[in-house]
Amino acid sequence: MKRRKLLSLLLALCMTFGLTACGGSKTTEESSGDSGSAGESGGDTITIGMIGPLTGSLAVYGTHVQAGVELAIEEINAAGGVRLGDASYQLAVEIKDDQGDSTECVNAMNALISDGIQLVVGSATSGCTSAITSIANSEGVVLITPSGTADSLTTTMDYVFRTCFRDSFQGELAAQYAADEGYTKVGIVYCSADTYSSGLRDAFADACAAKGLEIVAEESVASMTEVDYTNQFNKMVSAGAQLVFTPFYYDVMGPYLVPQARSAGFTGVLLGADGVDNTETTIPDGADLSVYNDVMFVNHYATELATSDVSANFVSAYEAKYGETPNNFDALGYDAVYVYKAAMEACGSSDAASVQAALADTSVVYEVSTGTFSFDDTGTPIKTGVLMGYSYTEGDAAVSKVAVKTLSLS
Amino acid sequence: MKQNRIKTRYLVNFAALIVLFAVVVGMGMLGGNTMKLKIAPSVWQCSYLIIMAASLNLVLGFLGQLSLGHCGFMAVGAYAAALISLAFQRAGFYTEKAGAAFFLVLLISIAAAGVSAALLGLLVGIPALRLKGDYLAIITLGFGMIIVNVINNLPFCGQQGLSQGSASSALYASGLGFSNDEKMQYLWVAGLAVILCMTCMFMFVRSKYGRAIRAIRDNEIAASASGINVSYYKVLTFTISAFFAGITGALYACCNAALATSSFSFTNGSILNSVFIVVMVVVGGMGSLTGSVIAAVVLFLLNYTIKNGAWVSALPAFLQNVFTYPMLVYSIALIIVIMFRPRGIMGSREFALCDIPQWPGRIKAYFTSRAAGKAARKEGKSHG
Repeated sequence: MKRRKLLSLLLALCMTFGLTACGGSKTTEESSGDSGSAGESGGDTITIGMIGPLTGSLAVYGTHVQAGVELAIEEINAAGGVRLGDASYQLAVEIKDDQGDSTECVNAMNALISDGIQLVVGSATSGCTSAITSIANSEGVVLITPSGTADSLTTTMDYVFRTCFRDSFQGELAAQYAADEGYTKVGIVYCSADTYSSGLRDAFADACAAKGLEIVAEESVASMTEVDYTNQFNKMVSAGAQLVFTPFYYDVMGPYLVPQARSAGFTGVLLGADGVDNTETTIPDGADLSVYNDVMFVNHYATELATSDVSANFVSAYEAKYGETPNNFDALGYDAVYVYKAAMEACGSSDAASVQAALADTSVVYEVSTGTFSFDDTGTPIKTGVLMGYSYTEGDAAVSKVAVKTLSLS
Repeated sequence: MKQNRIKTRYLVNFAALIVLFAVVVGMGMLGGNTMKLKIAPSVWQCSYLIIMAASLNLVLGFLGQLSLGHCGFMAVGAYAAALISLAFQRAGFYTEKAGAAFFLVLLISIAAAGVSAALLGLLVGIPALRLKGDYLAIITLGFGMIIVNVINNLPFCGQQGLSQGSASSALYASGLGFSNDEKMQYLWVAGLAVILCMTCMFMFVRSKYGRAIRAIRDNEIAASASGINVSYYKVLTFTISAFFAGITGALYACCNAALATSSFSFTNGSILNSVFIVVMVVVGGMGSLTGSVIAAVVLFLLNYTIKNGAWVSALPAFLQNVFTYPMLVYSIALIIVIMFRPRGIMGSREFALCDIPQWPGRIKAYFTSRAAGKAARKEGKSHG
């Protein structure tokens, strides 16, 4: 009976906390609101916001963006902060989890804005980001998405920018690679129900048509979390595809898509896009690792191919702080913070409207870890991509990720 | 005497609803950032969760059939409302989101969302409700997934039509999607929708139809033997439930301004999915509409404040780590509720304002009967 009472007390506490938090949050809001707006009033901290999927099935994306953002902020603060006019300001970050869901993303964005934050990095996926672009625009808050690649995210929204390239560019790069390597018959397995996958497929198919590549087979699956691709790849094999374009995320590539494609008898190149990055983390234990040979993907960034000082500094700082090699989400999140810093210093203010005006200047060149670029008039960087792939030789303990070459449109 | 008491209860409830509505209208007129950025969106989200949970309760609690695809109807409603509002805008019926013309479109979209979902509910219900228990659960589960896939693959709606950046901003700029300011301005729409839908559902379960479906829940064979047309009432309830789910879809489209079918799936990261709506009904109490309201609001607040409230950061570090995985917290909350209130927070009772004066007596009676039960058990043990 005592145990029961204790537990019910716990429940009651839970509920009361939950119900009273609305009232309680007001006080902290004011204090953090102060720090957020302090940039203008002469305090010494500028708080930027970050939204990303920190839990859920796409958590790898969010946590890596977070790692990149935190590293950038640490570096900037150690180097004396952001200089606006005569004063210098330290940076701080307020992080929100959207679980990869658009409603949660909207709530997170609103919460950040009500905390007085003017500059936001987020979210990691196109679906979530598309839900908050309109809020950013109507509330006048600058949003830089590190990895939202859907073409239309930035087109109609003045306050939305990104540090990655857009899907159609990625699809064009993939088609370019296929044409360069002399393939003539390509196949596509994609998910027509998903913004990312179908956007890439459209861009790839258009570019193939323009380059004279024949699409011999095209198959769609029901969802991005599909676990059976056998039928699709049987059709690819019987149609004689030499290369199959597979715009999926890493969570299905490792355990399902690649092994099933190989067991269906497909031996050619599986070419994906940036979502394939991190596949090495989802390969099941005891899997035949040789099947991951010839799995390639277009990516934003490769540590091996990034030779500029900024990139080298980023890689060594990241390895020193986290003890692992950074991936493109780390780099893009890191870049977003540096782009903000450059824009704030250019306009001498941390206020959203001035930063937006500074970012909208298409002549400014940003030199960041993923390359040197300037924004086009929609807010998307003009830059190059890289081709990466997985390779495994008999006797290795694990597959290794290799950077093949830098891709740019000819 | 009894007539009089019923009359008083109606009057009290009616007055309470008017007060509630006035509060929502008043909130919409207030200004301020907290109001606009936190409270108004929360009221919108609560409004669709409340109607959603209550409408599922009609099927799950009152009819006694497990439906796992309820969000499918919501998806139909959301897309129907969004497409209709965009069509009106393209036809030049309204240009800005204010005035009588837009209000008419808003009404038409909400009604059309309900009707289209109800039609689909009828279509699904006729074959599905000949099945029982697990089989019905499976067929509704399948239906929910089919709907999501059909919508995804229709070129004019689906992901490509409405959720990609510019298209979603089309819904936001010219269609039904509300910005934060418009959410404030039309806050009363959300309040009115909840009040009207809940009143209709209460009237339904208190009517002869409601008695008939409760009879079916308690004993189908006996109900059938008493002359109740079992399949007719089942399909009727299912259709009505789908109608209200469709209306919530329209509210969702207004509130979120970007539609993605993953929001209506069987499970996902957020608290809006078919499974979580079932959880709300169970936590609130199967067969208690007020229970569903309470559960929807409590679970929404739990979810919202875990992510955006200040109290989590006030906790010690090891507890904060638990709260970074919100799904873990919901399951703990669910376990606790089921342990202590196996029939949900409200059981099959309804919350009534007029009953509040009797609460002390009831609570006392509850504890005396429990003490008596315990004593009896002890006695039994010592004898055994």
